[in-house]
Amino acid sequence: MMTRMQAMIGVPLMVGSSLIMIMVGCATKSVRSGGNMPLSQGEERETGQAVQDLSFSERHGGGEEGLRGLDKNPSEERVGNTVLMAKSDPSSAARQVDEIRVEQASTAAAELRDVFFAFDSFVITEEGRQALSRNAQWLKANQGAQLKIEGHCDERGTSAYNLVLGEKRAKAARNYLVELGVSPSQLLVVSYGKERPFCKEHEESCYAQNRRAHMVVRGNR
Amino acid sequence: MSQQLSQERVSVWGVRQQRVIVRFSGRAIIWCAMVVLMGIPIAWIMESGATDVFLEATRPDFEKIPVGIVGIANVGGAGASEGRMAVGTRIEEVLKADLRRSQIFSLVDLTGLGVKASELGSEPHLAFKQVAELGASVVVWGKAGIKAEGNETDVHMEAYVYDVGSDELVGGKRYVGSPSVVRLMAHRFADELVFRYTGEPGIARTKIAYVAEQGSARELFVMDYDGHDPRQITADGFLNLMPRWSPDRRFLVFTAYRQRNTQTIDIIELATGKRSTLVSQGGLNITPALSPDGNFLAFASSREGNSELYRMDTRTKVVQRLTVHAAGDLSPTWSPSGRELAFVSDRSGGPQVFLMSADGTNVRRLTFEGDYNAAPAWSPRGNWIAYICRTPKKEYKLCLITPDGQKRVQLTTGPGVDDSPSWSPDGRHLVFSSTMDGKSHIYMINADGKDLERITHSGTHNSAPAWSPAL
Repeated sequence: MMTRMQAMIGVPLMVGSSLIMIMVGCATKSVRSGGNMPLSQGEERETGQAVQDLSFSERHGGGEEGLRGLDKNPSEERVGNTVLMAKSDPSSAARQVDEIRVEQASTAAAELRDVFFAFDSFVITEEGRQALSRNAQWLKANQGAQLKIEGHCDERGTSAYNLVLGEKRAKAARNYLVELGVSPSQLLVVSYGKERPFCKEHEESCYAQNRRAHMVVRGNR
Repeated sequence: MSQQLSQERVSVWGVRQQRVIVRFSGRAIIWCAMVVLMGIPIAWIMESGATDVFLEATRPDFEKIPVGIVGIANVGGAGASEGRMAVGTRIEEVLKADLRRSQIFSLVDLTGLGVKASELGSEPHLAFKQVAELGASVVVWGKAGIKAEGNETDVHMEAYVYDVGSDELVGGKRYVGSPSVVRLMAHRFADELVFRYTGEPGIARTKIAYVAEQGSARELFVMDYDGHDPRQITADGFLNLMPRWSPDRRFLVFTAYRQRNTQTIDIIELATGKRSTLVSQGGLNITPALSPDGNFLAFASSREGNSELYRMDTRTKVVQRLTVHAAGDLSPTWSPSGRELAFVSDRSGGPQVFLMSADGTNVRRLTFEGDYNAAPAWSPRGNWIAYICRTPKKEYKLCLITPDGQKRVQLTTGPGVDDSPSWSPDGRHLVFSSTMDGKSHIYMINADGKDLERITHSGTHNSAPAWSPAL
C-alpha cells in the first residue's frame, strides 16, 4: 500500500519520466548502417594486421554465474571461478632480457650522452645541447647506426600524463639532433613515461636522474 | 534510454525506506521542468550540457542494515591443515569483510546470544527473537566442510538468513565447489545478501586488473576485488600498461610495446590468453577505454604528431579523430550513457580535465583549481568524476568533481603520489595506486573518503588498477 508521501514522490516521477522518455526518444534517434561503410573525411580504418572481431556478450559473464537469489529450500549450486584466466607463458620474457642486454652493450660502446630535464619540462638546457652535439657527431660518423631516444619521467604526476611528457622530451631531443644535421631516418623516439625508472628512491637526486631522454643504439641498419 | 527503478522495502526494524533512482537523458530545461513538476526536495546532481543526468532520492540518513553473523561452523574434516584455518572459519572471515565493505550492512556482535552455529540447522533458533535487543535486524548462520569422494575433494557450504522484523527465514544457499573457490563462495553469498536488500548485484565477486612489476618488466595481473588470488595475465618481459575491462568482463584492453620500440593498444581474452593488436599506427598509443556498450574504443595517439584523442568503432574498425589541438590530449573516460567523454588536455598550460560529446564536439574545461589535474574516471552512477589533483603542497591526491563542476572534494591527504583512480561498479568505492607507504601499492577507499584500505601487500610496484564491471 502506498503511503501519501510515496504517492507524492512516485506518481509525479512516473509522469515526469514518461514525458521525458517520449521527448528524448524522438530527439535522439540516429541510424547508422553496419558493415563496411564508406569512410568520411577524417576517418581511417586500422589496418596492417588481422584485427580480431570484437563481439562483447550482451549479458555480463553469462547466465551461469548470475545470482539465483536466496531460497527457503536451496538446491545445491556449483561454484566455479567467475573469470576464467589462461595461464600466461613467460617464455618471451627471457628473450626480451637478452635483447636489452645487447642494446645496453652497444650503447655503452658508443659513449653517447643522455639529456636531462627540469621538473615538468621538456625544454633542452645548455648542458643538454652539449650532450646532443656530441651525440650528433657520433651519429654522422656512424651513418649506419640507428638511435632510439627514450623519454623518461620521474615518479611524480600520473602515469598517463608522464607518457605524453616523456614523448615530448624524446621528440625535443630528436628535433635538436635533426637541427644539427642528423638524418631523421637514423632516429626513433619512444616514451616510457615513469614506467622504467633508472633510480627508485623518492628523492630529488633520484628524480633528476629519471627526467631524461635516454640514448640507445639499436645497432647497424 | 530511460529507466526507472523504484524499490520499496520494509526494513526489519519497521522503518519504511524508499529509494528511487531515475536515469534519463535530456536537456536542462526538461530537467528543470521535472523538478518543478515534482515539487519535492530531492538530492540531485546535474551535469553541465545535461546529456546524462542521474537523479537519486535516498533517505539522507540512510542507515546501514545491522547484521549479526552467528558463525559458519566447521563440519566434518573441515579442511583445516597446517597453518591454515578450517573452511568454515575462512568463509566467515571473508563474508564479514565483504559485508563491512559493502556499505550496505554493519556487523553486530552476537556472542551475547549464547547460540553456536554448530548447533543450528536450516531453521532459525528460538533465541533469534531476542537479537533485536543486540541491535541486529538480520541474522546469518551456516556451516562448511570438505568432503572427499574418490578422487574428488569438494567444499560444501550452506548458509541461511533470518529477518528479525518479519520473524521468518528469508532463505539460504547451498554451495559446492573445489577447495580453490572457498573465498568465492563467501563472496557469492555476500552478493546474494546485498542483492536481497538493495536489488544491486554487489561487488564481492568483482575483479581488479592492474600492473605489477616483475624484475624490470611490468605485466598485467587480475586479482579479486579484495586483493586476493592475483593471476598473471601477460608475460612479455617488458611493459604492459593501463588495462581497462570490456563491458562483459571477458577482455582487457591495454598499452603494450612492440619490440620495446613502438606502442600498440592490444586486447587479450582472459579465458584463452588470445591476444591481438587493435591500434598500432604512430608513436604514442595510450589510455584505451571501451565505451559502456562496447561499441567504441577511445584512446590517445600521437600518430598525427602530438597526442590526440580518437575513437574506433569496434565492429567496423573505423577510426575517427575527436580532438584537434596542438596540445596533448589523453586519458578519455566515458560517461555511463556513452554520450560524453572526460579527458585530460594541457591546452591551457598544465594538464586539466575537460569534457566533450562522444563525437568530439562541445569541448569545455571542467577543472580550474590547481595547475595539474589528470587521470579522470567517470563514476558508473554518473554523479562524480574522480581524478588526480596536485595540491598547493605539490602532492598528487585523489579528488572528485561533479560533472557540472559545482562541487569538488579532495579525498586523500598526506605524502605520496596517488594515481589511476577507478570506480567500483556500484559507484560506492574507488581503487587507486599510491606511494603513500613508500612503494607503489593499490588502495581502496569509499567515495566519501572513509575506510582507506591497502589491498596489495607484496611485490615491488603495483599500479594502474581497473575495477571490473559487476556480474
